[in-house]
Amino acid sequence: MPVKKSFQEINEKIKKGKAVILTAEEVSAMGRELTPAQVVEKVDVVTTATFGPMCSSGMLINTGHSNPPIRIESATLNGVPVFSGIAAVDLYIGATENHPEQPDYGGAHIIEELIDGKDLELVAHAKGTDCYPRRDIRTTINRENINEMIMFNPRNAYQNYPAAVNASNRIKYTYMGSLLPRMGNANYSTSGELSPLLNDPDMRTIGLGTRIFLGGTTGYVSWHGTQYKSNAELNEHGVPVSNAATLTVMGDARNMSSEYIKAAYYEKYGVSIFVGIGIPIPVLDEEMAARLMIRNDQITTRILDYGNPGHPELGRVNYAQLMSGEIEFNGKKIRTSSLSSLYKARKIAGILKKQIEEGAFLLSEPLEAFPAGKGLNSLEIR
Amino acid sequence: MKRVKKRLVLRFPADRVNEPITYVLIKDYDVSINILNADITHGKEGNLLIEMRGEAAKMDEALEYLKDRKVHISPVVKTILFNEKDCIHCGACASVCFPGALTMKNSNRKLKFSPDRCVACELCIKACPLQLFELNFGA
Repeated sequence: MPVKKSFQEINEKIKKGKAVILTAEEVSAMGRELTPAQVVEKVDVVTTATFGPMCSSGMLINTGHSNPPIRIESATLNGVPVFSGIAAVDLYIGATENHPEQPDYGGAHIIEELIDGKDLELVAHAKGTDCYPRRDIRTTINRENINEMIMFNPRNAYQNYPAAVNASNRIKYTYMGSLLPRMGNANYSTSGELSPLLNDPDMRTIGLGTRIFLGGTTGYVSWHGTQYKSNAELNEHGVPVSNAATLTVMGDARNMSSEYIKAAYYEKYGVSIFVGIGIPIPVLDEEMAARLMIRNDQITTRILDYGNPGHPELGRVNYAQLMSGEIEFNGKKIRTSSLSSLYKARKIAGILKKQIEEGAFLLSEPLEAFPAGKGLNSLEIR
Repeated sequence: MKRVKKRLVLRFPADRVNEPITYVLIKDYDVSINILNADITHGKEGNLLIEMRGEAAKMDEALEYLKDRKVHISPVVKTILFNEKDCIHCGACASVCFPGALTMKNSNRKLKFSPDRCVACELCIKACPLQLFELNFGA
């Protein structure tokens, strides 16, 4: 009889302190010797994690009302524009928003500083209405004197991403880092076999309402991410070879830590933010175990030329090769860099493993699965 | 017998570019030379960033020889400062670091900075998303 476990059964084991929890890297190593049937018998939960730059992130705050009140129409925090087109004093701090005069400072830094408890200068304007008569505000806010601080990231945890090279004759500064001319280096961004959505490529266990580790606290998957794609080409191990599924995630930023939410600046590109995400995956059956046993050498990505228009595909490579620090491509040795931190991802997977072992973190079954067979539109310029 | 190590930028006048100066340094003065960066074009002024190791007395003689050949010698004063404490160990700097001063090849995936290999090319300054590298012009 093949072993099958439900979310409820696994949670019961966690509560009794009897569940066996491993990180995805540990299970990948185990998979060299054991079969999926043996893994599903031995392991109940596998923790996955990632810590990489995720541009589509931001924080929703409510500043509280002043007396007399204002219906904010435009606002800045430390000079960085924030979105104020929602109600009176709700503001959305977009991570990639740049300070107009200081290109290496932006929304991500505001977010990190709010988490760290620093004071920020709020400047806001409005036309004044009968019910909100105030027209200008200049004051200081921090995490203690505002209401909500909700991390709300519309597109995080990309399931795979291309590796970038630059075949042109000039250095390119991109969101994939500094790309040296004539394919002088190759940059990629993943935690590979530890990465959440690469361990559940069919999105069987991750969906609406999945409880996750987010930025140092507990958060939730609150929708599928923007640019969600579930009809991407798969390799022979059933893993998408290009960017595919994404997650919208939310959590209470007041409980987050700048250890796991970190502002970043990419030369000539702009501001971005490192987000730490950990997702526990239940080993429901043999099929799930087989997915979780995936190794870096079985995960493929495309090599794209960011030095030329349209980013043409030049070839394919696996993550064991990329993570070795050097790949061989067209007879040339190319040095590689990761943009996401495997060191931090491992830390997160370890924390999550410990929390589940202690019974402090239970798994949640998705309320709804994310759409299958979903493709993407591109913008036609008419 | 005291051995010394020096990092120097040698600037060759255009009419000296064709002379085998490094060969003479090695053969006649017994200094070991590691070329860290070279920018030499025939008919133009050339620059060579080298690390020289050798016996103190021989090194002095070697420097005299260079001066005699009208090679301009300046010590390398540029160094890269790394704020290691704030590093998140992504490794974005490693692939732009040609002399191999920044590496991620260890199994714990932590960035390793070996200042003795650094040639202060400055590529890491722009590659680091946390802006943890700085150029230092001190001696």
